[in-house]
Amino acid sequence: MVKKSQNNRIDESIIDVISVSKSFGTRPVLNGVNLKVGRAQGVCICGVNGAGKSTLLRIISGLLEPSQGSVKLCGLEVGSEPEKTKSQLGVISHKSMLYPDLSLSENLLFFAGLYSVKESRKRVKELLEELGLASYRYDRTGILSRGMLQRLAIARAVIHRPAVLLADEPFTGLDTEACQHLISVLGKFRADGGTLVMTSHDTRLGLQCCDRVMVLDKAQIVFEAMTSEIDTDLFVQDYLAYAGNRD
Amino acid sequence: MNYFFESLWAIFAKDIVTELRSKQVLPTMIVLGMLIVWVMRIVSEAASLSTMMMGPAVLWIAFLFSGLLAQERSFSTEEQEDCISGLLLAPVDPGTIYIAKLLVNIVMLCVFEAVVVPMVFLTFELSIGGKWFEFMGVLLLGNIGISSIGTLFSAMIQLSRVRGALLSILVLVVLMPMMIPAIFALLFLFGVIPEEVAGTGFLALAGSLKTSVGYLVAFDVVFTVACWLLFGFVVQE
Amino acid sequence: MRRLLILLTLVLLVGSTWMAFTLGEVVAVENNITVEKNIVYVHVPNAICASLCFVVLLVAGIGYLWTNKPMWDYIGAASAEVGFVFATVLNATGSIFARPFWQTWWTPSPRLISSAVLWFLCVAYLILRTSIQNPQRRARICAVFGIIAFLDVPMLFLSARVMQDMHIANVKFESAWQGAAFGLSTVSILLLALLLVWLKVDILKNKARLESELTY
Repeated sequence: MVKKSQNNRIDESIIDVISVSKSFGTRPVLNGVNLKVGRAQGVCICGVNGAGKSTLLRIISGLLEPSQGSVKLCGLEVGSEPEKTKSQLGVISHKSMLYPDLSLSENLLFFAGLYSVKESRKRVKELLEELGLASYRYDRTGILSRGMLQRLAIARAVIHRPAVLLADEPFTGLDTEACQHLISVLGKFRADGGTLVMTSHDTRLGLQCCDRVMVLDKAQIVFEAMTSEIDTDLFVQDYLAYAGNRD
Repeated sequence: MNYFFESLWAIFAKDIVTELRSKQVLPTMIVLGMLIVWVMRIVSEAASLSTMMMGPAVLWIAFLFSGLLAQERSFSTEEQEDCISGLLLAPVDPGTIYIAKLLVNIVMLCVFEAVVVPMVFLTFELSIGGKWFEFMGVLLLGNIGISSIGTLFSAMIQLSRVRGALLSILVLVVLMPMMIPAIFALLFLFGVIPEEVAGTGFLALAGSLKTSVGYLVAFDVVFTVACWLLFGFVVQE
Repeated sequence: MRRLLILLTLVLLVGSTWMAFTLGEVVAVENNITVEKNIVYVHVPNAICASLCFVVLLVAGIGYLWTNKPMWDYIGAASAEVGFVFATVLNATGSIFARPFWQTWWTPSPRLISSAVLWFLCVAYLILRTSIQNPQRRARICAVFGIIAFLDVPMLFLSARVMQDMHIANVKFESAWQGAAFGLSTVSILLLALLLVWLKVDILKNKARLESELTY
């Protein structure tokens, strides 16, 4: 194992967060955060509640404007060319962003239309089968269980084959089985060459689908490493102790 | 351009389908409208007011208040599952979202009017004298004005604490300049008051159907464009 | 600087009030009846001020959306609040003088409706402000509402013309001195408005600073 500095390790960065700061009022939430993510990497951002994890993801996704600094996605500035960057991006959060009154396939078709997906019907069918939701195709989305809803949310997020998937606390409210299923889905996404950036306060689950981990605290990145370089169990233990002290 | 129409249609159809399935608002709107008309009819009888005089005013009051229900729904449905973020993450221009929502609200008001207008005509014994085309035109212009403001404000108050009440205050105040010519246009149309144009210059009296409709059109154009341009600022966080 | 402005405003206010009371009656001809209209010294400058507040609201709104600087938000909020004060005085003085001449406190007539809506717009702005918690979102939403409110005013002045106006069209000053007194009172009330906006902006700025220091 060769240990290199972070910047050398990535030849081609797909997400480039350049000294991003964000404050609500005068309270800083992010303070000069730098982050480079390479193609097909999986990054897990850990941190206690209010550390700025979600804010960072929202800034990368372009939903939130940074107070200072900039974000580049596939070499394009997020704010300047929203149409191009948005089509490279899929986002899941703890809310599904799906309409409970539409059926599963209607929901997906709606978003496929917004992203101008070619052969959308075929793509929707494919995705539903892949995620094991094909038999619920015509049911109202409102009746789905939390785990199934989260799977459908992933289908919505990847329907346009984005290069980057941002996942904000994807494991919230899922049981163990659903978590394992989610991990395998996320793993498949990465295996197909997708880049994953996720936040999680459950470090152990997060580490299972990522190859890089960082800890956000007091508006800054305080720790970062490749999962291959650290002892995962030890890290989780240390992190829990650390987070416990912070609270 | 093609994408504009595709995404516009997608959002429009989605909203209409959702409303048809959940039947959340349209029935409430219609019942509220009917109640308003009914109460006003009793008032007009009790105060022995001419029904011809009151009819047009009652129409607008019913549209305004029932319209508020449709407008509030516009973005409360998006908020439930944070769907608005889903829309904003897609490569859709916020202006397109606004236009789609505006169209939905206009259509809802039109459906509502299809029920309530005949009711007003019957209970208030109005007669239009064959000027159906002009009548529909004035109603449509009113619909556009009410919905353009309402749609923007509905997005504006999304995260505030007292949504419904706040929406009604904001919309009713800002709609004042439209309600004056809207009411007068109908009064002229029904021949309740004579058209009268007098004087010149800024303070001249411009009381005719033509000028009222002119003001309605001006209001619709100015505010639809302004709301369309400002919508992007309202939905971002 | 500010003390000087306060002093100047006070002197002008007292001076113009004194002139208004000593220069004799301003006369307007209404329905061939001559009526005294000393109200113009207060009423008209107030109307000008209230309308100007909406111009400031527009500028502040565009300024905020353009630059995202909180200063613009404070200016907008301050001018809405000051606009509220002046619109209140405008409607109150109008009402007080309407009673003896028209035998009514209020009647739907274009300019009366317009000034009432000015008042309502200011109130709506202030209510909207209190209902949003997040300062940035509040600033943005209020900026948008300010712009819409501004657009509303000319539409209102124009569209109210479809109905009969019972408000008198203009007044005649008897002497050049009365004209001067009117000019002076307009200037002094404008200065007063400016001063109030300035003070309110300062208050808002300090409040925001204190709030952020307390929460952090």
